[in-house]
Amino acid sequence: MSAGSATRLIARLEKELRDLWNPPEDPTAIPMSRVCTMNIEVIAGSHELLERYTPVIDEVTASIPSRVILASIEPDAEGDEITGSATAVCSIEGGHNICSERITLRATGNACARSASAIEAFLVPEIPTALVWLGRVHVDDPVFQDLANDAHRIVLDSMYTSLASLLHVVSWARTQANAPEISDMAWTRLASWQEMTARFFDNPDTRQLASKITKITLRQASEPGARLGPEPALLLGWIATRLEWKTSRLGGKTRFKRPDGGTVSIELGSVPLPKGVAPRTLAAVVLEAESNGSTMMGSIERELGSGAGSNQEDATLDADVMVWKLNVSGFPPHEQRVRLGANKAAKWLERTLHRPKHDPAFDESVSFAEHIVQDGLTV
Amino acid sequence: MQAPNPLRRGLIEDRTGEPCAVVIFGASGDLTRRKLMPALYNLAVNRSLPSGFAVVGVARREKTDDHFRAEMKEGVGQHSRRKPIDPTLWTDFERGLSYVAGTFEDPKTYSKLHEHLEALDRERGTAKNRLFYLAVPPADFGVIMKNLKEAGLVAPPSTAGSGAPWSRVIIEKPFGHDLASARALNDTVAQTFDESQVFRIDHYLGKETVQNLLVFRFANSLFEPLWNREHVDHVQITVAEEIGVEGRGKFYEQTGVTKDIVENHLMQLLCLTAMEPPISLAADAVRDEKVKVLRSLRPMERSMVQDNVVRGQYARGYVKGEEVPSYREEPDVAKDSRIDTYVAMRVHVDNWRWGGVPFYVRAGKRLARRVTEIAIQFKKVPHGLFRAPDGGISPNVLTMRIQPDEGIALRFTTKEPGQATILRDVAMDFRYGSAFGSNTPEAYERLLLDSMRGEATLFTRRDEVEEQWSYIDNVFDAWRAEASAPPPLYAAGTWGPEQADDLLARDGRRWRRP
Repeated sequence: MSAGSATRLIARLEKELRDLWNPPEDPTAIPMSRVCTMNIEVIAGSHELLERYTPVIDEVTASIPSRVILASIEPDAEGDEITGSATAVCSIEGGHNICSERITLRATGNACARSASAIEAFLVPEIPTALVWLGRVHVDDPVFQDLANDAHRIVLDSMYTSLASLLHVVSWARTQANAPEISDMAWTRLASWQEMTARFFDNPDTRQLASKITKITLRQASEPGARLGPEPALLLGWIATRLEWKTSRLGGKTRFKRPDGGTVSIELGSVPLPKGVAPRTLAAVVLEAESNGSTMMGSIERELGSGAGSNQEDATLDADVMVWKLNVSGFPPHEQRVRLGANKAAKWLERTLHRPKHDPAFDESVSFAEHIVQDGLTV
Repeated sequence: MQAPNPLRRGLIEDRTGEPCAVVIFGASGDLTRRKLMPALYNLAVNRSLPSGFAVVGVARREKTDDHFRAEMKEGVGQHSRRKPIDPTLWTDFERGLSYVAGTFEDPKTYSKLHEHLEALDRERGTAKNRLFYLAVPPADFGVIMKNLKEAGLVAPPSTAGSGAPWSRVIIEKPFGHDLASARALNDTVAQTFDESQVFRIDHYLGKETVQNLLVFRFANSLFEPLWNREHVDHVQITVAEEIGVEGRGKFYEQTGVTKDIVENHLMQLLCLTAMEPPISLAADAVRDEKVKVLRSLRPMERSMVQDNVVRGQYARGYVKGEEVPSYREEPDVAKDSRIDTYVAMRVHVDNWRWGGVPFYVRAGKRLARRVTEIAIQFKKVPHGLFRAPDGGISPNVLTMRIQPDEGIALRFTTKEPGQATILRDVAMDFRYGSAFGSNTPEAYERLLLDSMRGEATLFTRRDEVEEQWSYIDNVFDAWRAEASAPPPLYAAGTWGPEQADDLLARDGRRWRRP
């Protein structure tokens, strides 16, 4: 592919974008308003994956109007070319037709090497850029490096790539000056778990038991023997770093030590994986603590598949109920039920994009999770 | 002091209330059914309620817990922004609802309440924390607070995060009907609660755009350097409603728009517009700056009222093509009523930043459109370089719309394409609904959660209330002195009486038509 053809493609798409905003020929049509609050670059290794993800991104832009550049980078595909199209994606909001711009590119063969510059040509200046990378990341990939260096935030989902892939990107970011912030949608999904876990120690009567945890049990939805998934690993990392636990090894096995020298035992287990639920989804966490004869057991259990009973508008099969229970010796047991929101890819991406870019707890938890990955823990 | 919960350190989505029992006095009333309970339920759906949580309704009527729950379920079903009710979540939520019947005057009501709350502490983990919501007329505040105190239901004030049990009280406006009654009310409240325990709700402050005023001003370096007498010609603040008194004639005959809107909502908008940057977003830091604005207001001496204040009352007219009655034809309104349904004022903030910059404020019912906005009109360019058709270039205007279509717009001048230099005003228009979607929390959700967390920034402090009344009282003194003069009438569906236009015309300015 010649450089000239890429230039012509960009010129053609830019014209198509301009033409989108011409006044409608039908005077009775609702005029379209172009709204753009950020650039979102979505990169996939195949156009099939990109097509599957396009409705997701369209849903996101209904609440975060953006210029979206969807690109599939397919070096093994036939042809050395970049092709593309541009369109507006609109939603009616308060009688107004609010529109985002969506540009779809496909780079094949040797043209992939130049795809980053083609993508960057479409970025709207002066607004944030989020790079959403679908699939495994290779941090030495020049396309990744070019796009990542110009992005404000890189969004991954370690549930669908791997914790190791996430760790590679985080390690790469640590070596870069002005590196973009790394966000993981698996971490975003943990927000409810973190908040519910913190509730065990909100009451002044149980607060001091946070430093006396003796055992933590994690369960994920998978076959027995599967590797520990990103969600349980990150939750474990989060609890451990908040409570300042240290890891040590004895006979090659990881042990967790509290600041007071006490040992925390870890039990990992699995529950059956219901249909429609992502493998290695976090299913339960149980904390046990003991201090001066006072004992506590707190559990959070996700009723996998219970979202089917929800009558809410945006519910999905896995908009599940979480059951929170707290038993403290000398007190009546407490129970609370909350429902996770609809477990849709669009929702998690939207929430991830709305979060502050820098989250120190994420960095610390990822570092801690590295130990777990090294140990290859299984359930 | 107890150490904070280590698992809440750095938690990004940490917007959960502290364990507590919310005690609503006046639980049979409309406010509870229409606003409070839907807001609490929405907090439950949003996973913002603590695990140790209960709501206790207190009212005169005898009813069982189940009856109370059924009433609340109906109210939530009708008025929640999240529909339909999620049966799983409702079952969990309603387990925390209970009811105590009794008169507010009877000490037995409070001993029953005391026992009930202690049981809830044990059974539901409410940690001896109490949030009293007085959804009752101000006349009942005194007796309720006295009895709460005597029943030992009020914990002493404590430092946030100390782990000590806390008691807080939420009260609704009106906070008095003049300075003397506001002080008396505040004194009554102060006999039972320390000021740090008092949360006075002005639901306007719970609106997203109002909160965004602080962000807009103090998180953007572009505007703050222009936000002063050097660059601003004048400020207009409008709180306009299309509706009339909507069956509340009896209430309105006792209040009028000045007391209902100007003394609280409008004054708060003025404060947020004019205040200096606070040293932090801590409640008292923000409220200190608002009070400084109120203390900087040029006192409205009785002799100044005629030149600076215009009141009005709506006559028959047309709103959106429908004929509507005059105020005096509304139910429960006197045929010779002199109540103000419109008021416009020229206000001066006499401080270094705003010296010489008038703030024109207006509020009214049955006006042409429902709109609440703050418009900052900048000074004209010093030299007319370009020929403009009307002989001058329109000044830039920055408008913050509070409702409807919350957003921010900036008007500026541009050249029309072509050989000739023809100038045209255009607007850059930012709408919250378009940029961020419109499913934002109701003001009551935000304010109830803040009060459960002990965050008082969006609540009005005693000195703010008293300064507001101190300013407004002079206007009423002057109106009382001219007792025989009825307020000018304006046709419903217009922008108020002609005299209001004259108020600005005398300064060579005119009202915006938002």
